[in-house]
Amino acid sequence: MFSMPLSLFSEQIINGIVLGSMYALVASGLTLIWGTMRMLNFAHGEFYMIGGYIFFLLMSSLGIPSYLSAPIAIAVVFVAGIAVQRLAVHPLLGRPQWEFSTLVATLGVSIFLQNAALHIWGERFKTVPYFISGVVDVFGMRLSYQRLLILAVAVGTMLAMWYVLRRTRFGMALRATAMDRDAAMLYGVNVYQVFMLTFGIAAALAGIAATMLSSINSISPWMGAPLMLKGFVVVVLGGLGSFPGAILGGIIIGIVETLGVIAWSSQWREVISFTVLILILWFRPWGLFGVKEEA
Amino acid sequence: MPQLELSHVSAFYGDAQALFDIDLLLEPGEIVAIIGANGAGKTTVLRTVSGLVKPRDGSIRYDGKNIGASDPWSVVSMGIAHVPEGRRLFKQMSVQENLLMGAYHRKNAADAKTDLDRVFTLFPRLAERREQLAGTMSGGEQQMAAIGRALMARPRLLLLDEPSLGLAPKIVETVFETIRKINREGVGIVLVEQSAQLALETAQRAYLMENGRIVKSGHSTALMDDDAVREAYLGL
Repeated sequence: MFSMPLSLFSEQIINGIVLGSMYALVASGLTLIWGTMRMLNFAHGEFYMIGGYIFFLLMSSLGIPSYLSAPIAIAVVFVAGIAVQRLAVHPLLGRPQWEFSTLVATLGVSIFLQNAALHIWGERFKTVPYFISGVVDVFGMRLSYQRLLILAVAVGTMLAMWYVLRRTRFGMALRATAMDRDAAMLYGVNVYQVFMLTFGIAAALAGIAATMLSSINSISPWMGAPLMLKGFVVVVLGGLGSFPGAILGGIIIGIVETLGVIAWSSQWREVISFTVLILILWFRPWGLFGVKEEA
Repeated sequence: MPQLELSHVSAFYGDAQALFDIDLLLEPGEIVAIIGANGAGKTTVLRTVSGLVKPRDGSIRYDGKNIGASDPWSVVSMGIAHVPEGRRLFKQMSVQENLLMGAYHRKNAADAKTDLDRVFTLFPRLAERREQLAGTMSGGEQQMAAIGRALMARPRLLLLDEPSLGLAPKIVETVFETIRKINREGVGIVLVEQSAQLALETAQRAYLMENGRIVKSGHSTALMDDDAVREAYLGL
């Protein structure tokens, strides 16, 4: 790796950032759910998967062009997120041991959705074409338009999320709920609505990642699982509940993974991210931007 | 008609009963105190009024309307603001954001600005620190911010849970001066205090709680003269 020409190295860094931005989208949804509800969503990978399949359905079976299929698929995933929260999570919230029962419930949803997809579409991997084909030469680096588009969408999404969280009334309610649920309720926040919408937004973020990556990877009932696991690593690296942490963490993991795969081999891909996880938990368990919670 | 009336209220945390047959009332414009040892149930009474805890029995009437089944976010829009025990500010938000959250339930964002100015006039220390993260302020400043946040909700009834907790005597004086000032403007106050002395000096009437029950009630002057109260709670 270290004997690579600079242009090739920078190309890989860019690829790492692109990949990392997708991890960041998946992770930021997980971290939002943890932040507001203090629960882990084990069905998160399946939101990604639903995004991929609906995108495929609209493009390949219905022939709808990609620039329409993608927003529609993302909207469907948003609704799916709200539905999962309302049906599987909400009924458990007031009850004892909800931290565990919700985890198990989302695990159940995950298994259900994976098998539903398997039943509907079968086990053969599906593919969708790139949004844009071709490459462009930038300072000696060869970058595909597809990857540049992904980066642009990622940046746009992150800016939109920053705006929602920091400049809208709903964003303020969400942050207040994450900081102190009781106080938020006392001053007018319907936290149950916040929970529903947080799940929807988190799912939509995973859906955006899915529409972007489906043409590069392929679509299968289990496509979400590795992404969810990586998402958890990023969330821990960035700090549980920290949105900026998820973004920075995602990019770091993306870069480390891409360079690691070149230095060693692609078989070591998963080992790399989990090694990073172990190192963080060892040296800095609260992650990059984690807030040490008071008892 | 009383502004607030609790009749035969009982409340539970899971299977453990925390309140037994509570009767309490507040006439318009009054300050009423609830005193008693830690664990007596004083905080639970406030949480039941604001909706964080649902009563299992009895009724809670605000201006005659039964609010026992209401969610906390509805209760605040009826005009009841609760300053919880320990302040419970939004620690990673600035002072200003905390105050604005106080006005969150109000649909009209425009007049929140005037209320913000009024709170800053009442608490000049907060104005100096408006951009500071709430979690980094001193106890006294946090208490002022917590009361300020409650005022931003434009309450007609204020529930204060242990406002003197952890504060230096000089600050306590300032805070209680402000509490009296708020009351003079027509806001009813239910004051929970561990310091019985302070509570009886501030409120017109008081309720003494032990183990989830009200054991004595009456005018503050009468309670201050009561031998049992003096011995147990006033250290006399």
